[in-house]
Amino acid sequence: MDYAIQQGLNALAFGSEYALIALGLALVYSIMNLMNFAHGEIIACAGYSMYLAILIGIGSPWLVAPIAIAAGALVAVLFERIAFRPVRHAPTTTGLLTALGVSIVVQNLLTLLISPRPRAVPVFSELSRTIFIGPYAISLLQLLELAVVALAIGGLVLFLKHSTLGLAIRAATREFSTVRLMGIRANRVIATAFALSGLLAGIAAIFIIARRGSIDPTFGFQPVIKAFIACVIGGFGSLGGAVLGGMLLGFLDVAIIVLLPQEYGGLRDAIAYSIIAGLLVWRPEGLLTRRIELGDKEI
Amino acid sequence: MSVTTQTRSAQKTLAPWMRSLVGGLVTALPVILIGIVILLFAPAYLVRVAFAAYVNLLIVLGLQIFMGNSMVANLGQGAFVGIGAYSVAILATPVAMKKLSIPDAPFGLADIVLHPALAAGAGLGITGLIAALTGLVIARLSGEAATIVTFSLMMVVHSIFIQWTDLFKGAQAFFGIPQVVGLATAIGAATLATIIARLFKDSASGLHLRASAESLLAARAFGVDVFRLRLLAWILGAVICASGGILYAFFMGTINARAFHFELVMTTLAMLILGGMRTVSGAVFGCIALALLLEAIRSVESGIAVAGFQLPPLLGLSGLAMGAIIVLGMTFRPRGIFVRLELDELLWRLFARRQPRAITEGKPI
Repeated sequence: MDYAIQQGLNALAFGSEYALIALGLALVYSIMNLMNFAHGEIIACAGYSMYLAILIGIGSPWLVAPIAIAAGALVAVLFERIAFRPVRHAPTTTGLLTALGVSIVVQNLLTLLISPRPRAVPVFSELSRTIFIGPYAISLLQLLELAVVALAIGGLVLFLKHSTLGLAIRAATREFSTVRLMGIRANRVIATAFALSGLLAGIAAIFIIARRGSIDPTFGFQPVIKAFIACVIGGFGSLGGAVLGGMLLGFLDVAIIVLLPQEYGGLRDAIAYSIIAGLLVWRPEGLLTRRIELGDKEI
Repeated sequence: MSVTTQTRSAQKTLAPWMRSLVGGLVTALPVILIGIVILLFAPAYLVRVAFAAYVNLLIVLGLQIFMGNSMVANLGQGAFVGIGAYSVAILATPVAMKKLSIPDAPFGLADIVLHPALAAGAGLGITGLIAALTGLVIARLSGEAATIVTFSLMMVVHSIFIQWTDLFKGAQAFFGIPQVVGLATAIGAATLATIIARLFKDSASGLHLRASAESLLAARAFGVDVFRLRLLAWILGAVICASGGILYAFFMGTINARAFHFELVMTTLAMLILGGMRTVSGAVFGCIALALLLEAIRSVESGIAVAGFQLPPLLGLSGLAMGAIIVLGMTFRPRGIFVRLELDELLWRLFARRQPRAITEGKPI
């Protein structure tokens, strides 16, 4: 039983990380129809900002964490301004390829300017401590991750529900032209969506760094692929769906690790992706998208 | 009768499929010419580079057949390239070599060996079969779901390559495949694939499929069986991708599952979208442009001498340039180089436009 609870917590922690990244992707996608492959590089840049902060002598986690979050938001807005604004009206594949191009450029810039090899970022080593709640040994990191993700999602929901810009973003996910007719600037709505997604990416970067302790140029790639899949499972563009998809994926990952015998370890991906493909064949439009919302884009 | 309609009617005297055939040949012309120049003059290492480019071209064409006509993004072509390559590796490698590398292969595969041509045919057949089975599912999906399912397909196939060591040698290289093809074969295959892609695009099936990409509901209302056409395009595309894998295996003699993974998918996808995915000419020219550029940058990256100075190797430069080209290309030509018209159609237009001018200037035609 203890073991099950332990693994359940593990799954929650993984799932909340995926959810955080998937939310950022879904925010941008729901407005611009852009599959932002460069989201992983936003995470990587946030991670490298921590590395640089430590390099110039800022050692306190309380300072490094906000720097990472700010860097994430800044980089996301920069990407939007430089690369994604010119292709805003182009077909989806164009946006996809632009995002891919940005991701390749940034990865190689980091390789050229810093190093192709992993660099240690030891600032959050405190967090890997284990604490005991009753009989359960829980890593402080997981607990914190759950709390912060819950807070971040709560904050996002508050922002989207109770601010004018949030309202505009929510409206833009349905019908952008009408939002513009109401006198809201398109650029501001899109920039805000990017900033928010960068913010979430920054938070995700902190937790990934805390878990791995080091960073390399392809740092953001794996989590973003997973987050993409989370988005699609949940229903692309649906924010609730992104969270649900992320959590599902977290549980799937942990379940496969726990249940699969050691000698079939190499089939982990095969099983995970088979289940994902099965889910999508069963519900092609994702778990949380109602068909009616797709309108003309149906099928 | 105006001159424009005259040229149109000249164009129309050919049967439609003949026009596509000629168009395909015109599109393939640079492929053939570049190939011949390399065959005649280039040093051995350049032949290798060119061969890889021709394999990429085959994969890009396979991708275009499905993606360009149905407009469903496909991230799974690496699976079929891999299946093709491993099929011939397992079937055509001499028994003595297989006793060394995969002695425990199931179904007695370690004890049989096929003639390379037969093995290639079997490889295409196996790929076609697997494509037909997976296509039953994928052809029903659209949008992001379809994209992720194709990606999942590749991940599953890759995992099986890695995990099933008895048959695929796992993460290690599979060696000893007979090296029976040269660049000339690749040029021939690429030309053939270009023509096939063009014939498919211009056929009734291709037209219906393209119509379904514009408006699925309207196409269905006109009685287009979208599922059947997507399945057809999926299988055809997969087989052409596999032919790329087969040639690659027969040229290199050694293959590794890593070669058929994400990097291949991304490179070929970039080539297709940069060129313009709706046209076969886009596939061809996107591939030529990116292949040339990548090779040029790669030589700079490894450190060259400029005006007597030896530049240090700059790791990551080729990636940087490739990314920059993609971003800039998409900024200035969001729909690719060849947006809607094929190369030959553009040439027709050019001539049709030039003739009236000649008349107004009073020159004899």
